[in-house]
Amino acid sequence: MGGVEDEEPATKRVKLSTEELRGLSNGSSLIEPVSGSSSDLMARPLSSEGDEEVVGSKGVIKRVEFVRIIAKALYSLGYKKSGERLEEESGIPLHSSVVNLFMQQVLDGSWDESVATLKKIGLLDESIVKSASFLILEQKFLELLNAEKVMDALNTLRTEITPLCINVTRVRELSSRVVAPSQFVLVGSHSQDIVRAKSRSKLLEELQKLLPPTVMIPERRLEHLVEQALLLQRDACPFHNSLDKEMSLYTDHQCGRDQIPSQTLQILRDHSDEVWFLQFSHNGKYLASSSNDRSVIIWEVDVNRGVSLKHRLCGHQKSVCSVSWSPDCNELLTCGVEEAVRRWDVSSGECLHIYEKAGVGQVSCGWSPDGKWIFSGVNDKSICVWHLDGRELECWKGQKTLRISDLEITSDGKQIISMYKEDAILLLDREAKVERHIEEDQTITSFTLSRDNRFLLVSLLNQEIHLWNIEGDPKLVAKYIGHKRARFVIRSCFGGLAQAFIASGSEDSQVYIWHRGSGELIETLPGHSGAVNCVSWNPVNPHMLASASDDRTIRIWGLNELNMKRKDAHSNGIHYCNGRT
Amino acid sequence: MDVDPCHYDLVGINENDIHNVVLSYLVHNCFNDTMESFIACTGMKQPDDHLEGMEKRKRIFNFALDGNALKAIELTNQLAHDLLEKNEELYFDLLSIHFGELVRSRKCSEALEFAQAKLAHFGKVPKYVERLEDFMALLAYEEPDKSPTFYLLGLEHRQKIAESLNRAILEHMNLPSYTAMERLIQQTTVVRQCLSQELGKDTHAPFSLEDFLKS
Repeated sequence: MGGVEDEEPATKRVKLSTEELRGLSNGSSLIEPVSGSSSDLMARPLSSEGDEEVVGSKGVIKRVEFVRIIAKALYSLGYKKSGERLEEESGIPLHSSVVNLFMQQVLDGSWDESVATLKKIGLLDESIVKSASFLILEQKFLELLNAEKVMDALNTLRTEITPLCINVTRVRELSSRVVAPSQFVLVGSHSQDIVRAKSRSKLLEELQKLLPPTVMIPERRLEHLVEQALLLQRDACPFHNSLDKEMSLYTDHQCGRDQIPSQTLQILRDHSDEVWFLQFSHNGKYLASSSNDRSVIIWEVDVNRGVSLKHRLCGHQKSVCSVSWSPDCNELLTCGVEEAVRRWDVSSGECLHIYEKAGVGQVSCGWSPDGKWIFSGVNDKSICVWHLDGRELECWKGQKTLRISDLEITSDGKQIISMYKEDAILLLDREAKVERHIEEDQTITSFTLSRDNRFLLVSLLNQEIHLWNIEGDPKLVAKYIGHKRARFVIRSCFGGLAQAFIASGSEDSQVYIWHRGSGELIETLPGHSGAVNCVSWNPVNPHMLASASDDRTIRIWGLNELNMKRKDAHSNGIHYCNGRT
Repeated sequence: MDVDPCHYDLVGINENDIHNVVLSYLVHNCFNDTMESFIACTGMKQPDDHLEGMEKRKRIFNFALDGNALKAIELTNQLAHDLLEKNEELYFDLLSIHFGELVRSRKCSEALEFAQAKLAHFGKVPKYVERLEDFMALLAYEEPDKSPTFYLLGLEHRQKIAESLNRAILEHMNLPSYTAMERLIQQTTVVRQCLSQELGKDTHAPFSLEDFLKS
């Protein structure tokens, strides 16, 4: 058949690349230049017709770069033959042959040759050449020392390293290494971190970080890009309430609504009157609910058996308006309306102590973060601090308290948050004695603190829930609306993975759930037949929510199982266990 | 600008005091010949067996100044045998002078061996580490004068060490390690400065001995 000129584009392409490679090994100018800026890559297109310079629909991915990082990924995964085949078939070498030679020389320990080759790569920046040479010669020096060839090492230092005139401090460190052989390192000096020469592949990695990325492709570049994409997907996911290990590369990550608890799993009917308050313990193992029937129930939360009654705590003479878990979850405080505060042992159900003050009644209770003292709001507008054994420690007067008053302490024990006026909250720094205020233009009915102490969720009379950032000067950051509140105190809470959701009760008997970041109302859950007074999201299980209602029941909400099963058939890769069979 | 003479003119001075001041200076610095003439001229009593000690101290001082630290060490050990044991820092300084000399004469491998043998173990003690590193850094340079620590090779450094050695020997021999002259000058300077501050005359420059001597 005809000569070379008759060949088809495909073979011609292959031929081009052989020429290219020959060109590279001559050290002459490269089609794929390595001197630093990626715009050079576009200078002379690699291909004949048919090959595009960019891949992907958006036109932002350059073919050459794409192929090179894939080749690099193949090599680091250990698929050497595939990597070589890719380089051959695409005609795009991973590294030019000069660079390949350089890398091989470094790994072989041919130091002087590698320094010489380094200069042939054609780097424009002289200081990079010097720094890279320094790294290589330093390795040579340290390896000589390790081989106990001290004079040779010293000569390398004197004649090759020092004349580079860079990194004088390092030169100093290296010279003191000469006198201290490996068995006794100079005490307290920097030499301690250069006792051994590092491995040669580590050296190569450091060189690669130094050289421009077009010369030597950075390690794990493809993995890094993919991880970046996954994390972006995760952050953009509005309903994200599932664990990271469920992310898959096959489809864009998006949690469906099915990650939010939306189905009633259990109805607990053990209270005989309106249930006013409930809260999961910090470890997610217990739930405490308090009721107009003057009792408090401690429930046990079990992954398999669900929520079951553990103890009924009787003793209060009035309705119980709030409870508070001790930091270690072994004890519970309960507060009767304008009555006493009681402290109970969770495992035995025994009442350990009653805190009361003659002539006044208490309206709220809470634990100090170190578990050593408790505080209670009193209806004479003061806040009392008690020792566990019943001794009164302090009494802060002058704070105006409403009939139901909330009180929070940050987990570092430094800030006390309480009501100060009908429409204002006081944030008191106990140590610095500094006061900050949150001023609302509506009456505040309740508030709750986020786990990271940075945000306060405030419920208002006008059916809005406001989210305030309380770091520094308090700033309003979000509003949540949709639920109904007219006559009663309705409580809201943070919940879900990383507390990314807001949940609230409502007088229309539904539970409302918003996405915290966007403020979007995600779910309204019907089921109760009376106003829902309080909700609590299990801090440990993001798929479990509890609600307390005037219909005397407590509902436990979990994931919609039907949707889950359907999803599985999709082989979407989403699979996790929440314990329900 | 001097203090008003009427403040001090009436202070009496004893001739013997002056002689002693001069003598102590001469003894400290081992000027034996001068000392002998001075004694002869002033008719003072010759200090007992200072002469021999002075002779020895002079030799040691000069060896150290010239950089022959090993000889200085040898003689010191003869003269005051446990002095260097008790003065580890001084011993280190002397050894490093020898090291410096080896580096100066470009005897690299000798310097290295010496350092490994004699200096390395000081590296275990934190207070010597930086100084040791300063010295070792000299080895990294083919021209030691180009190194950041080149001053360690200079005369000024050796002079400092030689003087420390001298003082240590004097102390060992239960003689004053500072001359009366030095002390007097130091004290005078302090007193004069205090005076000008006290009198509230901030226009005064700090007391300068040089200016005083010229005036």
